Amino acid sequence: MSDMRPEYEELPTQRLVAVPTPQRRVDADELLSRVARGDERAFAELYDLLSPRVYGLIRRVLRDPAQSEEVAQEVMVEVWRNAGRFDGTRGSATAWVFTIAHRRAVDRVRAEQASNDRAQRVAASSVDTPYDDVVEAATARIEQQQVRRCLDGLTDLQREAITLAYYNGNSYREVADLLGAALPTIKTRMRDGLIRMRDCLGVAF
Amino acid sequence: MAETVDIHALAGAYALDAVDDLERAAFDRHLRECGACTVEVAELRETASWLTHAVAAPPPPRLRDAVLAEIGRTAQERPKRGAVGGGRSQRSRLLRWTVGAVAAAVLAVGVGVGTWTVAQNGVQQENARIDAVLAASDARLVSSEMAGGRVTLIVSPSRNAAVAVLDGLSDPGADKDYQLWMIGDTARGVGVIPGGTGRKYINGLAPSFGVTKEREGGADKPTEPLVGQIKL
Repeated sequence: MSDMRPEYEELPTQRLVAVPTPQRRVDADELLSRVARGDERAFAELYDLLSPRVYGLIRRVLRDPAQSEEVAQEVMVEVWRNAGRFDGTRGSATAWVFTIAHRRAVDRVRAEQASNDRAQRVAASSVDTPYDDVVEAATARIEQQQVRRCLDGLTDLQREAITLAYYNGNSYREVADLLGAALPTIKTRMRDGLIRMRDCLGVAF
Repeated sequence: MAETVDIHALAGAYALDAVDDLERAAFDRHLRECGACTVEVAELRETASWLTHAVAAPPPPRLRDAVLAEIGRTAQERPKRGAVGGGRSQRSRLLRWTVGAVAAAVLAVGVGVGTWTVAQNGVQQENARIDAVLAASDARLVSSEMAGGRVTLIVSPSRNAAVAVLDGLSDPGADKDYQLWMIGDTARGVGVIPGGTGRKYINGLAPSFGVTKEREGGADKPTEPLVGQIKL
């Protein structure tokens, strides 16, 4: 296989004679700061960038597509309304958006639990639809692999505690019940599991 | 103080929204007095937000129409002072370089390469090799800031190969290029990148990867100190 040919003696013959500016994709931070100035076009771009993850997350937590759509709409409108309040020194734009989305989804789940009809609903449907764009697909694939690899690096208890809370919207008390573990243990596993994931993903200030 | 210890243990549950309203309020109070906790919670939320990658699903197109129509008639809150718009702090600049941002940048640099005019054949072959590394099931990203920019490696142990991406490193200077090295017992030159931006397929891994500035065209072995190093 030609791939295996060693390149020890590789000469630097492959020279670029014209180096354009790389076509850097506009990131969420930049878009959000434009949104904060009332730029609706930037908002539409931000929507296109983040809505699959916003909607996917909410749907994972709520299960019900119609409700998920409703909550996703509330979240995206809240992003528009509060874009000026976003503080870039305290985290990335994406984390800010997903924090809002997760919180809204969890609030809805808890409200429903109170009215006790959640148990009626059917279980998860997997909705992994591919992106149409090759670059996005590659990015998404690498990021998904990264997440899975880092989740795999956790202990079972850490992983279950984190995913039950994040994907199902369970409180740590519920998680402790579900896993038959003590409350302080679950609190600790959520924290040290996230810390381990943080280090694995390279998330740092 | 026992209460402080106890409340701080909630940082993970808090970041996952797995607390009740009373606990959230207590933790919010705690955060106002604890700078380190604020950073920790921000990092843990950033981490948690990564979990969304695994559940992404395109929403129905009508949601886009509905949202865009609604924001068209929704007033925005006034920004708080010190929020968006001013200079970005070092912290947020670093934060933006989470792996996700790196992956996007890596691939964006990749897209640009297709339009470059290269003075030699073999570009397509190089691109095919790069694609193969990106597509490898064990591909992982490691990344480090160097010389005012960022160097990222996409490493595939199963293919015994990597792709190095230099993004926005400072100009190496007149008659100088950046040279890439795989470093084990000795340093093996694995490519030269003129200017501070570009990418290179690397066949053969070593325990460590490094970058130096060398005379134009590169040297047989490093003659200058490393501008940066990444352990594989």
